[in-house]
Amino acid sequence: MGINYYQIKKNVRKARKLVIRATSIAGSGHPGGSFSMAEIMGCIFFKYLKYDPKNPTWQDRDKLILSKGHASPGLFSNMALAGYFDPSELDTLRQFGSRLQGHPDLKCPGVEFCGGSLGIGLSFSIGSALAARIDDKSSRIFTVMGDGETDEGQVWEAAMTGAKYKVDNLTAILDRNFIQQDSYTEKIMPLDEELVGDDLSEMWKDASRWKTGDKWRSFGWNVIDIDGHRIEQVDSAIKKAIQTKGMPTIIIARTIKGKGVEHMEDNPKWHGQAPKKEFVPIIDMEIDSQSMIAPSIIAGDMTNLENEVKRCVTGRADYIHLDVMDGMFVPNKTFDYNKIRELRPLTVIPFDTHLMINEPEKHVKDYVDAGSDIITVHVEVCDASSFGQIHDVLKSNQIGVGLAINPDTEFPEWAVQFIPKLDQIIVMSVVPGKSGQKYIEATHEKMHKLNQILNHNNFDGYIEADGGVTLDNIGACFVDGARAFVGGSAIIGQQDVRGVIREFRNKIAYARRKMLIQKAHELGGNDLVAKWIDLHVIGEKKNQLGTIARELGYV
Amino acid sequence: MIGDMTDMRTAYGKALVEIGEQNPDVVVLGADTTDSLKTADFGKKFPNRFFNVGIAEANLVSVAAGLAISGKTPFASTYAIFLPGRCVDQIRNAIAYPSPADKKGLNVKLVVSHGGISVGADGGSHQQVEDYAIMRVMPNMTVLIPADTVAVSKLTWIMSQRYGPHYMRLTRSASPVVHQDSQEFQIGKGIVMREGTDCTIAACGLTVKMALDAADSLKQEGINCKIIDMFSIKPIDSELLEKCARETGCIVTCEEHNIMGGFGSAVSEVVSELYPVPIKRVGVNDKFGESARDSEIPLLLEKHGITSINIAKAVKEIIGKKK
Repeated sequence: MGINYYQIKKNVRKARKLVIRATSIAGSGHPGGSFSMAEIMGCIFFKYLKYDPKNPTWQDRDKLILSKGHASPGLFSNMALAGYFDPSELDTLRQFGSRLQGHPDLKCPGVEFCGGSLGIGLSFSIGSALAARIDDKSSRIFTVMGDGETDEGQVWEAAMTGAKYKVDNLTAILDRNFIQQDSYTEKIMPLDEELVGDDLSEMWKDASRWKTGDKWRSFGWNVIDIDGHRIEQVDSAIKKAIQTKGMPTIIIARTIKGKGVEHMEDNPKWHGQAPKKEFVPIIDMEIDSQSMIAPSIIAGDMTNLENEVKRCVTGRADYIHLDVMDGMFVPNKTFDYNKIRELRPLTVIPFDTHLMINEPEKHVKDYVDAGSDIITVHVEVCDASSFGQIHDVLKSNQIGVGLAINPDTEFPEWAVQFIPKLDQIIVMSVVPGKSGQKYIEATHEKMHKLNQILNHNNFDGYIEADGGVTLDNIGACFVDGARAFVGGSAIIGQQDVRGVIREFRNKIAYARRKMLIQKAHELGGNDLVAKWIDLHVIGEKKNQLGTIARELGYV
Repeated sequence: MIGDMTDMRTAYGKALVEIGEQNPDVVVLGADTTDSLKTADFGKKFPNRFFNVGIAEANLVSVAAGLAISGKTPFASTYAIFLPGRCVDQIRNAIAYPSPADKKGLNVKLVVSHGGISVGADGGSHQQVEDYAIMRVMPNMTVLIPADTVAVSKLTWIMSQRYGPHYMRLTRSASPVVHQDSQEFQIGKGIVMREGTDCTIAACGLTVKMALDAADSLKQEGINCKIIDMFSIKPIDSELLEKCARETGCIVTCEEHNIMGGFGSAVSEVVSELYPVPIKRVGVNDKFGESARDSEIPLLLEKHGITSINIAKAVKEIIGKKK
């Protein structure tokens, strides 16, 4: 895949926090639709879109047309991160005299379309795509539409026009979050199938009910269905769209309105409402504490790793953790880059390659070329010079940079200078070399110390817990600061990978909810805890939050 | 030649082809009325710069906007009833409102045919008598109502060279030439067709000829009218209107449009602020039109008071109210 997955992920996280900040100061705005498209926008902005923030009218630039203009905070936050203006300008959102209008406006250099009157953006984009064609320019147009927006008849006029003129220099992305202002799309104007009852999850269970793609296919479009919150899927879909000639492409991205903030998720109320300022620090903490599950396939059948990868895919893993052992740094041998290259075509899920090998600087390029997305090497076999080389190779190839540390190793002095540049630190909680070992309890204390070093040195990456992570201790690992979790025998060793990953996520969710309640208590006592819990009206979250609060004695 | 009956759409289509030869940025869009609007000729000559989007006017307007923001000069055309009449939102939010740095609106030219009740046979549903009002109220929009094919050709050229959103309305039927080929047109400036001191008749579109005829008959009664062709109803020539008010002391306006919110209103707004004098508005009096065969169009116009006789009557009436 080749993107620095982590950099996009970090930008998406920062963009979400800017949306919260801006809308809470403005006292109005649309966080829900900004969050459902957050990964889409991050991927377009930081991987595909050609632009120059210092020269916003550069003739050969690509254009991002935000047709669902109400999600302007989601556009402005990315523009700020891209360097069009200082992020502090987002504090002026929706205010008198601001360039950042309630809906995107050409007043702000870099904005390409005054969106917001819904249904216009795709036609406008086709106009821009045709102009690029007349001028024989390679500029691409990316158009982000809302699903409710496609109630507008003009969208289908545009759909026909796009097909007639074969605008293959245009990629449309439908943010299919299933919610419009009044309620769920399938209640207001079904795009797939009418929803009976109030349980939106019904629509997710049965893919045969999804008809939206059929509509676009019948209009002559190339349709790519994806999970719009998976950066790797967005990335892969855009890449395919660009390669598709002779017809326009629409990426139908299934998303969750309000994604990233539990009380906003799937709740129509957060279509057009801003968070109250008192909740902002809690929400920021929530956004910063999203977690990834990384099954380690060597815990499975080593003779059929292809099948283990497939199990990770059906299990909906966030990463696939690839333990490379050379028989020297560790006693065992597993596989090398040749195997990774063979596995790569099986999935777009990021490959989290963990090199437990000597002299990694000599081999790292092979692992880049084989298709790794993140490569982690051990501090025990590096020094400032060799890791400097590794870092440079990875950065220049847009691969995530990781450093791993063994249980018996103290974080070395030479590595401190690299902390701000790291995307990932793997903290080993077993002695590496084989799977199935028990978690070393002293790791908790070690994490505590490590966190101090990392915080002191502007660490901006993720900590990955690796070794003996189970359902029993994953909550404690989360509290320690880990946000990625390698699961060997506890995940891959189980029959039902999908089920066990879900259980892992539930455990993390519990620990996270507890952490946020503690934060609420710290900020505003029992009163704020009660208000925080009251925000959670969709699904089962509220009951669990109540239980946690009682256990903590906050009631 | 003055007095010849000529076809505005033909003049428009011809001008577009000439402009297209010189200006590679000009593109033309249509909505299944390109034969009727005579834009199809442009399409034959420049197929890569011609887009027929089918019966989809909202899309027509918005695709034109996308072309404009990318440096093209799109002319989008169909019947009046389907552009301002149908696409207020797209015209507002995709063309008039979006303003790149130091500019006002996008560079789209909306040229419609079949304006007013003189459409005839198609009936009231297809006779747009609200477009001046709709387009005039739109910030950044220029609104042009040519009286003849001389004006149509010249204004088409001017629009292709002048930045900004423009609206121009043509009539369906052949119309009499009232201007010399040498006549110059300047946006925002009226044309004095005839000098007079007793009353000003301000006209646009097909009423310019009626005003001239009215003035001829009034002259026989000793009444000297000043005639102005106010083809540019936005921006409007306030200076000229003020001068006319001062010099003639009263004004009759005439238009093939509802007198509410249209051209007469525009003149009244200016005159009442700069130099109030009595004004009489001749035009459609807040009604819809109806079918009439070509031979019956004079009857339809007469029913709505849009005749030289009625203009003359209005002149006499308003002169009596002068102070």
